Amino acid sequence: MKQEISTLMDGELFDDDAEATLDKLKRNPDIHEEWRTYHLISDVLRQSDNVHANISIAIHERLQAEPTILSPHNRASHNARWFALSAAASVMALTLVAWLSVQVGSETAPQIAMQQSNTVHSANLPANGLDDYLMAHQELSPSLNMHGMTSYVHTVARQQEDQQP
Amino acid sequence: MKARFLLTVVLYFTAVPAFADIGRQVDLDWPQIIAFATHQTNYSGTFVYQHDGHMESARMTHIYDQSGEHEKLESMDGPRRAFIRNNNEVRWYSGDKNALQVERQYSSKRFPALQPELLSVLNENYLIQTAEQARISGFDTQAIVFQPKDTLRYTHKMWAHMDSGLLLKTAVLDERKEIVEQYTFIQLNIGGKIERTQVMPDKSATSLEQQPHFATPSETSEQAATSEWKVAAVPTGFKKIMEKHRPLHGKKTNVIHLVFSDGLAGISVFIETSVNNLEKRLGLSSRGAIHVYRKIKDDYLVTVVGEVPPRTVIQVADSVRQNGQ
Repeated sequence: MKQEISTLMDGELFDDDAEATLDKLKRNPDIHEEWRTYHLISDVLRQSDNVHANISIAIHERLQAEPTILSPHNRASHNARWFALSAAASVMALTLVAWLSVQVGSETAPQIAMQQSNTVHSANLPANGLDDYLMAHQELSPSLNMHGMTSYVHTVARQQEDQQP
Repeated sequence: MKARFLLTVVLYFTAVPAFADIGRQVDLDWPQIIAFATHQTNYSGTFVYQHDGHMESARMTHIYDQSGEHEKLESMDGPRRAFIRNNNEVRWYSGDKNALQVERQYSSKRFPALQPELLSVLNENYLIQTAEQARISGFDTQAIVFQPKDTLRYTHKMWAHMDSGLLLKTAVLDERKEIVEQYTFIQLNIGGKIERTQVMPDKSATSLEQQPHFATPSETSEQAATSEWKVAAVPTGFKKIMEKHRPLHGKKTNVIHLVFSDGLAGISVFIETSVNNLEKRLGLSSRGAIHVYRKIKDDYLVTVVGEVPPRTVIQVADSVRQNGQ
């Protein structure tokens, strides 16, 4: 069946075969799922722009439909197992969305990174008053001989919070 | 995972005999070649600096021409910070995405690259050996290990470009062979013409003249200090290479600055009269392989800075004495 779907998608089936396959597709929801998966794979491979949005909407709808979190938890153990499984599925779905946004939405990732760097690292320098000592030391340290100005990275480094052991 | 490990082992035993140089005690050629390359080559590149579980990147540009050495180091992550050197003058720029401004200016007397006596000191304190040959950032490199003869200093491993001698990677390791800090060039252009504009501040940078309250410490205000202080427990092999009264940004009075060197690592001891010592941060703090230890000694504030393990800066700070005591 997989072979047929794949060939159908490529438009390489004869008319009769194609109709038969489409019929099977209509009748069997499992195969329908496979049909969608193949399209997803194909879209991801071609880096189509629509993939990201469509998938996340679909997954969002499925997450909405899931009864996991709101259910009372004094249920029988087989229910708990079902919840665990569906929770795992949710996590995987979220992971898939995240992965897809990294893989497909090439523009979204840098934006997220930029926002983080703006909000998290707002500390101004000199943050701890030790920078001047570091500078004075670096200018005369023999490490300047071998490393040149690269050794100044200690002062240029963003991470200004000193570790107190 | 297992297969990978096996592959590594197999590769090791098949590849090692190919490099006859491995483990050989080298003469002082490599340190000299590296020091020469660092200061007298044109290069520009981006490196990743890893320390204390953090990773950040910075860009380095270095020009050596008739007028001397010009270089620029700028952070690529977080707040904008840059150092620009024109021979003995270093300016520290900082700012946000709109503008850079001069934060500080330093004038320094630089040492000529690796004086002969420093080289012999280096050889006394470290066992210098060549290690593996590795490919880093597309360049073939030779690894050189500087193994200290005691645990009061770190092991340094450097990967130098075979052709130019430039350092492509450096790792500082503690006595348990764990990496304290490491930097690796991920992109590097060696040689060729680099425009001087690349080591100048951005157009947005405020010039020094526009900052009236900007103070430049002048060379004349630095005086050679008489030895009123002594540091009793400097680790064997560290030699005092300088002692002077110097201005330090934000200090009303000069501080005493002593510098000790073992050829590879440096220890600075700063002594100043202690005012408002309550707001001072005392104790140990670290940034990568650099450790700082501050303590109050009588009426003075002692600050020790060095590329040495924490116990060394503490030992040095605890041994600072005023002469005659």
